[in-house]
Amino acid sequence: MTSVIELGPHQLALEEPMYFRVKLEGDRVAGLDVQPGQVHRGMEHLVMRRNLYQNITLLERLCSLCSNSHPSTFCSAIEEVAGVAIPERAEYLRAVADEIKRIASHLFCCAVQANLIGQTALFRRAMEVREIMQRSKEAIYGNRMDLAANCIGGVRYDLTPDAAMYLARQMEAMKAPLDELYLQFQNNPAIMARTAGVGVLPRLEAIECAVVGPVARACGIDYDVRKKSPYGAYDRLEFSTSLQQAGDVRARNLVRLAEARQSVSLIEQCLAGLVPGPLCADLLPEIPAGEAVAKSEAPRGELVYYLRTDGTDFPLRLKWRVPSYMNWDALKVMLHGEPVANIPLIVNSIDPCIACTDR
Amino acid sequence: MQDQVKETPAEPVRLFRINTGSCNGCDVELAVTAAVDEFDVEQLGCRYTEEPHEADILLITGPLTVRARNEALRLYAEAPETKVTVAVGVCPVSGGVFRDSYAVDGPVQRYLPVDLNVPGCPPRPQALLAGIAQARDLWRARSKGVDAVFAAPPLAKPADEPAQQFPIRGRMSFDPKACVDCRMCRHVCAAGAIHFDIKGDKGDRHLRSQSPGSPEGVRLTLWHNSCVFCGLCSHYCPTGALSVTGDWHLAHRGGQTFRFSEQGEVPYTPCSGCGSPLIAVAPELLHAAFRRPTPEIEHIKTLCPACRQQLSIGAVRR
Ligand code: SF4
Ligand code: SF4
Repeated sequence: MTSVIELGPHQLALEEPMYFRVKLEGDRVAGLDVQPGQVHRGMEHLVMRRNLYQNITLLERLCSLCSNSHPSTFCSAIEEVAGVAIPERAEYLRAVADEIKRIASHLFCCAVQANLIGQTALFRRAMEVREIMQRSKEAIYGNRMDLAANCIGGVRYDLTPDAAMYLARQMEAMKAPLDELYLQFQNNPAIMARTAGVGVLPRLEAIECAVVGPVARACGIDYDVRKKSPYGAYDRLEFSTSLQQAGDVRARNLVRLAEARQSVSLIEQCLAGLVPGPLCADLLPEIPAGEAVAKSEAPRGELVYYLRTDGTDFPLRLKWRVPSYMNWDALKVMLHGEPVANIPLIVNSIDPCIACTDR
Repeated sequence: MQDQVKETPAEPVRLFRINTGSCNGCDVELAVTAAVDEFDVEQLGCRYTEEPHEADILLITGPLTVRARNEALRLYAEAPETKVTVAVGVCPVSGGVFRDSYAVDGPVQRYLPVDLNVPGCPPRPQALLAGIAQARDLWRARSKGVDAVFAAPPLAKPADEPAQQFPIRGRMSFDPKACVDCRMCRHVCAAGAIHFDIKGDKGDRHLRSQSPGSPEGVRLTLWHNSCVFCGLCSHYCPTGALSVTGDWHLAHRGGQTFRFSEQGEVPYTPCSGCGSPLIAVAPELLHAAFRRPTPEIEHIKTLCPACRQQLSIGAVRR
């Protein structure tokens, strides 16, 4: 028997408004129609009406879960056009900001899923652990979500010796809880029962959908922009791509938690390698006519920016492709044949960002 | 989000969230007030509900996009007659950075009354709790029918608030004495929060060239309900006239929205050569440019561009 149901943000347990039309065969998912647009704020129009400086702040508010990735990648594109090499200290500080955001973002995603499978204690625990990151962000950048770390030519925050020591202590405090969360998601039988073999995306289909980020790496696809085309400080940092093979909800969370743990190590390496020097190449560099592409590994995967300038402060064209955009499509494969009750969990397991996709 | 029903003497006040197209910053922080003990709304005698018809307080986030409007208004209408509406973050009341887009239909007060604003981008959980506490008191008064005489109590700053090691980014402050009228702050402000106008004797005009008579000075207005607390203006301000304060105690009643701003006037002084009005160079800029300004520089500083040309090249060049 075929039927169609509609699901909204409350049924899907999403922080953001998104609507699904799901076709069912009996109680199993047979088809999916994603109905986006609620968070469409006309961003591509807005960025053309704002100058390059204003767009630093505007793009940070494209999505607050990956808020640092947008301005830092956008600034990289401008710097490419202007032929500006940012100071080494700024490269490390950009990496610190990106990795801090990655840990907080991954933890939020895992926490929400724990809640969805009835693991209330684990949900609250993951949120408590995330608070260490939230407090660190507020202490160093002055805000818990939007760091305001970037400017054209470098960064606009510094880590004083005091602040660096504080951050190192916070990172130390993250290690044991992150290991503990990993073990829970890996071995706890109750969690495994709900996440292993659920929402599977086979490797071949993953390649066909061109998924990115943890969704891809959970299917054994070895792709991480930080490794494949290192930018900023990443060519000087030691790390390996986190991989899983199963392509299910469990694998995606294990990739995220392993990455969060690795981000802790990346931040520690940045603190160790933080050379003295200027924070910004030039306060107001000349930005000539030109075009550039910049990309980075945002928490949800590869983020690509395209910028064309005409020598004025206003962009002639500014476009970006967010990782969630690629990952939405794979939901059709993941959900196929799954019971209705699993829909919210599987949807959240791709860590969908609606603000990013709807723009 | 889970419900946290606990035995409290009074019936908990129920909170319902409406996301009208936010960047999710405010929403993720609201999630913290349901998930993290330290910031749990339970301590205020509140709890979240997933049912609009149970809502006592509506927490609205986002700039009200065109696509989200009907659903948001439907949820608002579904809530009981007696309710309190809280605009969370700067988006709902001004559009924040998203203002002036074809896809944004806000501010929300075009469609529904806003009782309280909690500025921030996003507000920190402490600010959310302070706002929710005010909303709760307002709702309790309103449900007893005493809305008209009810005034929100001034926000008590928690006495035991630990001294911040590093300050948070709160309200912006403006020091007109250091301002040189370069307007770089307005140029970089994504939110359109900074406005300049000329204070003249024949009424205020936006553009200096249109201002008749002798203008008295330049006035900067920074609207806190549009500002997204990014600090970019202060980063690019060459003299430090704009600075970030740590003040996040910003929750206020909806009716005060437009009075909630920072203002300062930079007076014109007469050119010491010809008397035409000019903005004096602030000592802050002079010291940034020349560590120790010479008497000659101090003199040039008091001249208008025409008199400076006269001094340097003996004539005014056209
Ligand atoms: S106020 Fe700021 S954080 Fe909140 S939704 Fe708007 S842009 Fe996002
Ligand atoms: S901090 Fe300054 S630049 Fe940023 S939004 Fe506020 S007024 Fe504009």
